[in-house]
Amino acid sequence: MTRLRRILAELRDAILQAAFSLVSHKLRALLTISGIAIGIMTVILIFMVESGMSASFARQLSTLGPNTLFVHKWKWGVSGNDWWKYKNRPHVNMLDLRALQQNTTLPVAIAPLVNTQATVSHGGKDVKGVDVRGTTDGYLDATGWQIRRGRFITALDQEIGANACIIGADIEDAFFKGQEPLGQQVRVGPNMRCDIVGIFARKGNAFGQTQDLRVVLPLSSFIRTFGSKRGLVVAVVAPEGKVRETEDEVTAVMRNARHLAPDQEENFSVNRQDKLLEGFEQMMKATNITGILVGIITAIVAGIGIMNILLVSVKERTREIGIRRAVGARRATILWQFLCEAVMVALVGGAVGIALAAGAASIIDLISPLPARVDPRVMLGGVIGSAVLGVGFGLWPALTAAMLQPVEALRYE
Amino acid sequence: MALIELEHIVKTYDLGLSKVPALRDIHVRIERGEFVAIVGQSGSGKSTLMNIIGCLDVPTAGRYRLSGRDVSTLSDDELADVRNLEIGFVFQSFQLLPRASALENVELPLVYRGVAKKERRDRAVEALGMVGLEDRMKHKPAELSGGQRQRVAIARALVTQPSLLLADEPTGNLDSRTGEEIVRLFLDLHARGNTIVLVTHEPKLAGRCPRAVRLVDGLVIADGPGREVAAANAEALGAEALAQFQAAERAVQSGTRP
Repeated sequence: MTRLRRILAELRDAILQAAFSLVSHKLRALLTISGIAIGIMTVILIFMVESGMSASFARQLSTLGPNTLFVHKWKWGVSGNDWWKYKNRPHVNMLDLRALQQNTTLPVAIAPLVNTQATVSHGGKDVKGVDVRGTTDGYLDATGWQIRRGRFITALDQEIGANACIIGADIEDAFFKGQEPLGQQVRVGPNMRCDIVGIFARKGNAFGQTQDLRVVLPLSSFIRTFGSKRGLVVAVVAPEGKVRETEDEVTAVMRNARHLAPDQEENFSVNRQDKLLEGFEQMMKATNITGILVGIITAIVAGIGIMNILLVSVKERTREIGIRRAVGARRATILWQFLCEAVMVALVGGAVGIALAAGAASIIDLISPLPARVDPRVMLGGVIGSAVLGVGFGLWPALTAAMLQPVEALRYE
Repeated sequence: MALIELEHIVKTYDLGLSKVPALRDIHVRIERGEFVAIVGQSGSGKSTLMNIIGCLDVPTAGRYRLSGRDVSTLSDDELADVRNLEIGFVFQSFQLLPRASALENVELPLVYRGVAKKERRDRAVEALGMVGLEDRMKHKPAELSGGQRQRVAIARALVTQPSLLLADEPTGNLDSRTGEEIVRLFLDLHARGNTIVLVTHEPKLAGRCPRAVRLVDGLVIADGPGREVAAANAEALGAEALAQFQAAERAVQSGTRP
């Protein structure tokens, strides 16, 4: 009981003294606190942006589906030296698509994908930058998109190059507030009129951008309007648990379609989303390392500030240490007293840093496509981190204070 | 049982190249209720002795028993507890916490004893009352006169009801009138049963104590009634002063010679 009372009384005293010490050296404290705050803020922001990107990317990937293979000229998740190699490959074209459709047996669905940005108009109103896509009837199965009303493209639409389209929810909102869109016409690009036969269910944002500002056409109609120079991406959905077999089959069919000799390298890639994920993870690892490095550097800089404050404080209060020791304070009491001051500086800095990060996050959230928010766990981490920083860098000055001989300390001028 | 028993106390300061003996072989017993002055010139070892008696320092050799307990071998923490429980310090330069009020200064030793807040306050008020400062309790040291500051320090020393009141040149920073007040306060405290050890270089002050111990070069050379020891000390001082005067005179004469 007495012990507990002593500890509580000492703690209260230590906190008061620490607060007083900081208040009586406002500028010095302010400088160190801002150093810590900026450090903590930077680290939080780096990790926040990183986790925002990860979340966004993961959501994007989940729309692709784990069993889907993408036959493409490009190998996903690759950058740097091999760029020219992929650049010079032939596009995946209609012949490749036909070969895949006719000669594969395993796939559940096959859908070509090609897209461009174009202006879509209706009733004298223009919407610019619409994502216009050409595909075939396998699209829904291959991508997981859903039709809310009407129907999707049929094989017949593709066969005859029908002027039919399915519109995204944003297009519906833009042109048909309170009207029935089905059966109406929109103009896609400079000169194509098409009938709206279906409306997609709303999909929401990915990477901070709407996915619902889109028009989907039959691939044949798309090529007629926008030309055939764009390469295709062919999405191939493998049956559950047979992704590897399907990949082999698709590769064989493609090699055959392109008349590749056995010793020739492939001039196409069969991509899986996990490959994309690998590339992304590599990038994230780099960001992570950057974040950790920045964190370490800022921690050291902030820590030196704390150490400086404490060393000055120990010097200034040397006599006080002597007095306290003379009337019965133990070494540990002195140690705690100065650690308390260090932790207080660090915590105030940490709190300001977290507040700044939260403020910056809401600004980033407003003006950039990234969803930004400071996770409560990150806040907690910031608080714990700054406390550890305070203890870590305050320990040495506090120890020198605790190890002072009472006689020497009392004599100090 | 004597309150203080110092047996063959030796204290040597190790300055690396040389070892400086501060106390050579001190033998002193002080009973409860005594008022003893330790007197000596600077460098005589009296401050070292005070630090050892006050458990602020430990002897290099010898045995020091305080209230029958051998404290010469205690750990740092144990010494801190002994200081808190047994000893009340009064220093020449007051040694008050500048940012704390008189009351908070007096409460401080009780904080380290784990006394409850209410009781702490009551006892501090009582101690300040004993030194006549009941109307200055909220003042900071800077707002008090030298004499008042020393009274606060005495109250802080008394608040724990220590076995020993240890004063190091308590009047050294005070004018003679205020110094006299403080001396009277000590005599009064002694009359009320406190054991007091007072370290001073002033033979006059030592002369007013019932008992004085005189140190020269780390040795006790006189121990007896204050007046006698002080007189002997004054003689010694006089002889030394005369010697210095004669030396100075010779120097002047030799300097003026062509």
